[in-house]
Amino acid sequence: MQVFKLCMQIIRKNIPVMLIYVILTAVVTALMVSDIDKEYQKEISFTPAKRSIAFISEDNSLLIDGFREALGQIVNFVELDETQLQDALYFREVTYIVRVPAGFTEEFMKGADVKIDKSTVPNSVSNTYIDLFINQYFNTARLYIKNIDGISQELLVQYLKEDLSKTSNAEVKSTTGKKVTYPTYSNNYFNFFAYTLISVIILGMSMLMIVFNDRNLKMRNSCAPVIPGSINLQFILANLFFTFASWAILVVMSFIFNYKNSLNAYTVYFIISSFIYSFCCASISFLIGNLIKSQNAVYAVCNTIGLGSSFISGVFVPQELLSGSILKIASFTPAYWYVKANNAIAKLTQFDYRHLQPIFSDLMIVAGFGLAFFAVALAIGKRKNYIEN
Amino acid sequence: MIVKVRNLVKRYGNLVALDHLSLSVKEGEIFGLLGPNGSGKTTAINCILSLLKYDKGEIEIFNQPMSPDAYNIKRDIGIVMQNVAVYNELTVYGNIDYFCGLYITDKRKRRELVKEAIDFAGLGEYTHFYPKKLSSGLLRRLNIACGIAHKPKLIILDEPTVAVDPQSRNKILEGIMKLNEQGATVIYTSHYMEEVEQICSMITILDKGRAIVTGTKEQLKDMITMGEKITVETFGLSDTQLSAIKGLPNVISVDYKDNLLVIKSSKGRNNLENILDVVKKEDIRFGKIYSELPTLNDVFLEITGKELRD
Ligand SMILES: Nc1ncnc2c1ncn2[C@@H]1O[C@H](COP(=O)(O)OP(=O)(O)OP(=O)(O)O)[C@@H](O)[C@H]1O
Ligand SMILES: [Mg+2]
Repeated sequence: MQVFKLCMQIIRKNIPVMLIYVILTAVVTALMVSDIDKEYQKEISFTPAKRSIAFISEDNSLLIDGFREALGQIVNFVELDETQLQDALYFREVTYIVRVPAGFTEEFMKGADVKIDKSTVPNSVSNTYIDLFINQYFNTARLYIKNIDGISQELLVQYLKEDLSKTSNAEVKSTTGKKVTYPTYSNNYFNFFAYTLISVIILGMSMLMIVFNDRNLKMRNSCAPVIPGSINLQFILANLFFTFASWAILVVMSFIFNYKNSLNAYTVYFIISSFIYSFCCASISFLIGNLIKSQNAVYAVCNTIGLGSSFISGVFVPQELLSGSILKIASFTPAYWYVKANNAIAKLTQFDYRHLQPIFSDLMIVAGFGLAFFAVALAIGKRKNYIEN
Repeated sequence: MIVKVRNLVKRYGNLVALDHLSLSVKEGEIFGLLGPNGSGKTTAINCILSLLKYDKGEIEIFNQPMSPDAYNIKRDIGIVMQNVAVYNELTVYGNIDYFCGLYITDKRKRRELVKEAIDFAGLGEYTHFYPKKLSSGLLRRLNIACGIAHKPKLIILDEPTVAVDPQSRNKILEGIMKLNEQGATVIYTSHYMEEVEQICSMITILDKGRAIVTGTKEQLKDMITMGEKITVETFGLSDTQLSAIKGLPNVISVDYKDNLLVIKSSKGRNNLENILDVVKKEDIRFGKIYSELPTLNDVFLEITGKELRD
């Protein structure tokens, strides 16, 4: 295990550089946590009273009825006719007007991207809460429509009601001053994780590869009676060990920063998804290490791949804010699928197969990327015990 | 025969780096491969070790054909590369242990061997240093320690003393002789003829990839006509004075520049005496006058028409 031990030693010597990324993560996380705490403070101060809103529907359907009923749990409806609406907003009789456009249900059931219209008082923080609720309601509905072919409105409303009775407990709790269980923190942390992990691993691995691809050392090692396959195997072992050690450290860090928000079922799924993503990172770094020959190139590639893929994949900026064409490009990077899976985990309302299935398929794509990169790296990086010329 | 090389040809594109090179190294020898920069010493070593593919020729080590996966041969070879090959991430101790560990898996045995190698290279004070902190001489010594720690039967050293101060160099040379006394066969390449003269029992002189002569240093010196080199420190010699010296018996060549008169003579009894006679007769005033036996440089010069080092 000489080579394995050597790898560990090389990594140990390079820990200070990698620490930069870990510290960066720590700082971002700390900011994130304090931000969430602030939001949570706001939440407490703004949600005790149910908001008054107006609900105008130009569409009549079971779905809309169900929606109105669900919404009724967090708001009071004020009956107004068309002409009074603007005044009511102006005088703050209502802070939010929901308007369901005609034909909404029909389009929505077909899976089209239709939206509920709204008018709001500007800068009202509490409206965010209503936005969140409406988004969640229809996002969940969309999930059902996508996954259960020809689901009836009746069944859909019933499912949604079941889901909401579970989560709205949590939501209701938050209005009464208890902790928000919606896993914003973990979601953000594990998304950012994508950047930290890939940077650290590419860095560490490339350091190894540079040492191992050094011509003099390669020749010197080739003089020894060691089978190249054995060196390769120890190398891959070291790579995996390093990857999962980094992964474990980052996971532990997520707990340390916010253990109160981390002890829940969501975290388990985030950990699973980050584990799969780590495997993918190991393969990528293995491939890159086989291609890169110089120290300077390492930093360049590390930043390009780390920062670049993180940007377009929605690690720093939510995927919803990225344009479709960018996301299309991003879908060629594993980070995109990883973030997508994480965001879906955060939106989970029920942890059964029906809900988890789309997340698993995203993660399978991440794993697939990993296998592909690994295969290419093995083909390129075949060690021989002689040098070329 | 420990190493046998027959008709080795290695080309880099159009450049013929090794041109039908043949060598035989017997057990117990310190075999010197002497040649100027670019003569193909490193290329020859790399081919012998199967690190390089070659175009033609046969190489046998310990009477078995050498190949990249001849692990049983590799096990008994110690190699000290011309380019220092150590890990900057490992300490002096760590490096020796790593390389030794590629050959010796038994930990306890290895600890002994590493300790011996450290003593051998005089690195006792530096075991916890990282290579970046070592002077170039110490680094060379580390490179050597890494190569010989596992007590190989055949030790190949490719210019191990480049950029080493005379003191360290002598230590290294002494060490190599000690290893040889302990039973190791040694192949030693260098472009310093003094070193090769000092330690090698058999010498091959290499030029442009060809072995131009092989023999003990005495044999090599016997091959050339020059037997003595006499140097006179003097200035303002006239042409008549010079031609009087040129006319002396046995004189092969007379070279006068920078106030140094260098007279090369073939073997003969009274070469110095004859010159002193002329000096007296012609009333030549001189600072120093001394006689030297031929060196390998002279051998090289006479055979190739150029200096070993330029
Ligand atoms: N990888 C290479 N590609 C092309 N030419 C090479 C290569 N390696 C060596 N050469 C050439 O082959 C010749 C022999 O080189 P080599 O390194 O064997 O000489 P050497 O005797 O070891 O010299 P030195 O004393 O400088 O170490 C030189 O002309 C050199 O330029
Ligand atoms: Mg050389």
